[in-house]
Amino acid sequence: MNKKIVKALYRKEILDILRDKKTILMMIVVPLILYPLIFMFSMYLSTSMLKASTSKSYRVSVQDTENAEELKNFILEHQEKHEYDFVFVDSYTENRDSEEALRQKEVDAYVMQSVSENRPYYEIGYMASETDSQTAGGMLKDMLGDYRDDLRDDILEEKGLDIKETISPINFAMKDFSTKEENAGYIFGYIVPFLLITSILMGALYPAIDTTAGEKERGTLETLLTLPVKNLELITAKFLATSTVAVAAALLNLLSMGIMAIYLMSSTAAVGQDMGINLFSYIPAMIITLLCVLVFAMFASAVCLCACIYARSFKEAQNYTTPVMLIFMMGGMAGMIPSLRLDGTTALIPVVNITLLIAELFKFHFELSRIAMVLISNLAYAGIAVVLMARLFSSENILFGDAAASLHLMEARKDMKEKQIPGIGDVVLLFSILLIVMLFAGSLAVAKWGLYGLFVEQGLMLACVLGYSWYMKADFTKVFHLRKPRGIAVIASVLMIIGSYLVIQVIGGLITAAFPSLSTENTEMLVSLWENKPLWLLILAVAVVPPVCEEFVFRGFLLGALEHKYKAWVAVVVCGLMFGLYHMSILQFFLIGLVGIVLTYVAWKEQCIWLSILMHALNNLTSLLLQQFEEPITQKLPFLAEETISFGTGAGMVIGGIVFLALGFVLLQKRSKNGKQTAVDIV
Amino acid sequence: MKIQATELCKKFNRSVSVDGNKKKSRQEEFLAVDHVSLTAKGGEILGVLGPNGAGKTTLLRMLGTLMKPTSGTVSVIDDNGKEMTDAIAVKRYIGYLSENTKLYNRLSVREMLRTIAEIYGLDAETTETRIDQIAEVLRLQGFIDNRIERLSTGQKQRASIARCLVHSPQIYIFDEPTLGLDILSSESIIEFMRSERERGRGVLYSTHYMEEAQYLCDRIVMIYKGQIIAEGTPQGLMEQTGTENLRETFRTLINGIEKEMEEETGEGAL
Repeated sequence: MNKKIVKALYRKEILDILRDKKTILMMIVVPLILYPLIFMFSMYLSTSMLKASTSKSYRVSVQDTENAEELKNFILEHQEKHEYDFVFVDSYTENRDSEEALRQKEVDAYVMQSVSENRPYYEIGYMASETDSQTAGGMLKDMLGDYRDDLRDDILEEKGLDIKETISPINFAMKDFSTKEENAGYIFGYIVPFLLITSILMGALYPAIDTTAGEKERGTLETLLTLPVKNLELITAKFLATSTVAVAAALLNLLSMGIMAIYLMSSTAAVGQDMGINLFSYIPAMIITLLCVLVFAMFASAVCLCACIYARSFKEAQNYTTPVMLIFMMGGMAGMIPSLRLDGTTALIPVVNITLLIAELFKFHFELSRIAMVLISNLAYAGIAVVLMARLFSSENILFGDAAASLHLMEARKDMKEKQIPGIGDVVLLFSILLIVMLFAGSLAVAKWGLYGLFVEQGLMLACVLGYSWYMKADFTKVFHLRKPRGIAVIASVLMIIGSYLVIQVIGGLITAAFPSLSTENTEMLVSLWENKPLWLLILAVAVVPPVCEEFVFRGFLLGALEHKYKAWVAVVVCGLMFGLYHMSILQFFLIGLVGIVLTYVAWKEQCIWLSILMHALNNLTSLLLQQFEEPITQKLPFLAEETISFGTGAGMVIGGIVFLALGFVLLQKRSKNGKQTAVDIV
Repeated sequence: MKIQATELCKKFNRSVSVDGNKKKSRQEEFLAVDHVSLTAKGGEILGVLGPNGAGKTTLLRMLGTLMKPTSGTVSVIDDNGKEMTDAIAVKRYIGYLSENTKLYNRLSVREMLRTIAEIYGLDAETTETRIDQIAEVLRLQGFIDNRIERLSTGQKQRASIARCLVHSPQIYIFDEPTLGLDILSSESIIEFMRSERERGRGVLYSTHYMEEAQYLCDRIVMIYKGQIIAEGTPQGLMEQTGTENLRETFRTLINGIEKEMEEETGEGAL
């Protein structure tokens, strides 16, 4: 990468963005003028609403009450205390029912008496959907409360009891140790991150669209292509320029917010309600927040550029960025979820981590390791995004042709070519869909129907992958490797899965011995699903359905897409590890990742998914049977019952495993007798 | 210095309606440029001629390394016989101009030229003298500090030429440079190409104005449906086909090809 070129391009981008009136409007006018305006307007609105609600008089009725007059008089005498003002309208009661009167707005609320549990029972009728009615109802409730207290005091007095001692034999009070600064920070922590994230995003969005889709639309991208500029240089310059504008926008927003805060303080101080908050105590939080702003601006710019880079027009880019905006805003609200705290996991979730960090900072929690984690992970994400963009970005495709060529879902089905092979875009999209389907529909099904929910979950997965492939008119035979298995390959597969099973057992044992906390992960939930179920159902749920469905996703679609795009070994390893990742636990990632690589190798080598399904099924079946018949098996093979595998057994298992794997591997290299092994049959 | 294309091909997808039904269409691959080989040398003007949709622009984009060929290579060979095929390296020797290479509207001409000079790695001093030089040759002084969005069409075209002059390229690739310009503007561009030829630079340019090509080009390549159908000096081509001017030459050549194709498909049908 040539720094001089990046610098020249960066300067050009900044000049280009700054000379655009729309950007200036979005960047300066909105935060500096619109925000204070909105703020003041909402302040005015809330105070005037408060005024209106208290100074207004409400029409109420007291009816069917033995002591109606007494209650009315009480209300009239005591309404002053609350600054309430009631007007009694009782005339309608003779011929209309009260609900009708409420609905017709003849009264705002009413009180009606009946008897329940031998005591007088008052019903306050109101409508929560009408502001006036709701207020009047609330006021009546206060009045009735006073009335009850008054009656109670009378009774106590009659009985000669001391009112104070009887009502409250003990006293208590709460003492708040948080400082005013901490209290205010708690509230800042809710609002500031959300406003910052929104303003950074707004700041990044426009330049991101302008430098990508805008450049394409104005026809200058082709000019840029005539210059000796590399993709990475181009993307880096655009990324830096977008980040700069986003940071500038965020700083202006912060400034605007700061001015509003100071204004608020001084105006409350002027009316004698000094909140006594020392703004200087927030300086450390502000400094780290500034760092967060910088880092997050980079992250947001990278994401925005990613979303816009394939857009061919401004409009298209705006469509792509809408979901990004929604997701960011949802992340910005993370600070408002009380149970969500900044920990090792949340510190790695983009957007959420920044939100939580800023919230913590304003509560004066400074944990250096967390701060570092959040900042570094954001930088890392931004960096990865830029490098990926530079690799994937092809100005040529955007300018002259199929911009989203690897994403087949973009086209209508009738325009699809026959026998397509999915691209990387398809893989990303399908896996995003699968993730959402699994997370929501899948876990809901399992929670609701237990073991049967597993079938629903797996069925959905298969339906997604087959549906997607049908829509893009995929070449099913090629993508899903639907070839008849060779006899010799079946033997090799069985040998290899036995081998991998043995090796995995030892590695798994070693890992759990080293990190005991890992072994209890998520096994409990599964066990509860399995209890008291017939064996055939368990076999179906463990060793038949998941192998078929998962293989179609991984050794089918994923491998089918990867092997056409990358070198074979890359495809095999990535596909295997993705399979490990899918199991969502650290221990399983390594173990299942290894099994996944073996499965993928066989499926790729033989271009036959049925073999990997067989292996997958055998693997799961063995685990299931070992677990179900633990006692009889350990009686015959006592070494299996050992808590930790002894060195001798372990070494034996590994050597045996490797021998099996090697045997299988060698067998796979053998060509069929008739020499022609490419006869493609759809089974 | 020369630029050489060897067996260049470019494949595109296009949708074709099925059985004349507008709603039903399918994607089909076709060769926009079909095994084209040519060489453009310093000190000559090579004209690429052909009707709209013949593949001229695609060919020129591949020669300018804006577009990767599906197969075949583009290389620049200097006077010592050193051959360069890397796109970034090739771009340093080429000044590329087409109707589609628009300018940055929000910058002034001078700002744009400075940016480009910086990208080519020129130092500040050289840049300024170079810009002054170019401004004088192309008469940009009157508007060099104006934003490009405020320039007239002719001024913009001169600024565009200035853009591809900054790094003193050895070979110019101009895609229909005179298209849509008035007589004065197009004459100044033609004058420019001639003077660069005198200075030993190579000019490869496409046009569908046959008369212009006839008196300007040293050599001509005619393409039709992505393939070269004739190559030679204007004089030679006219003699070969026994025609008076290039317009007729072209018509004669195309008629011949169409006839051949008709016969082929006719035989096929029988």
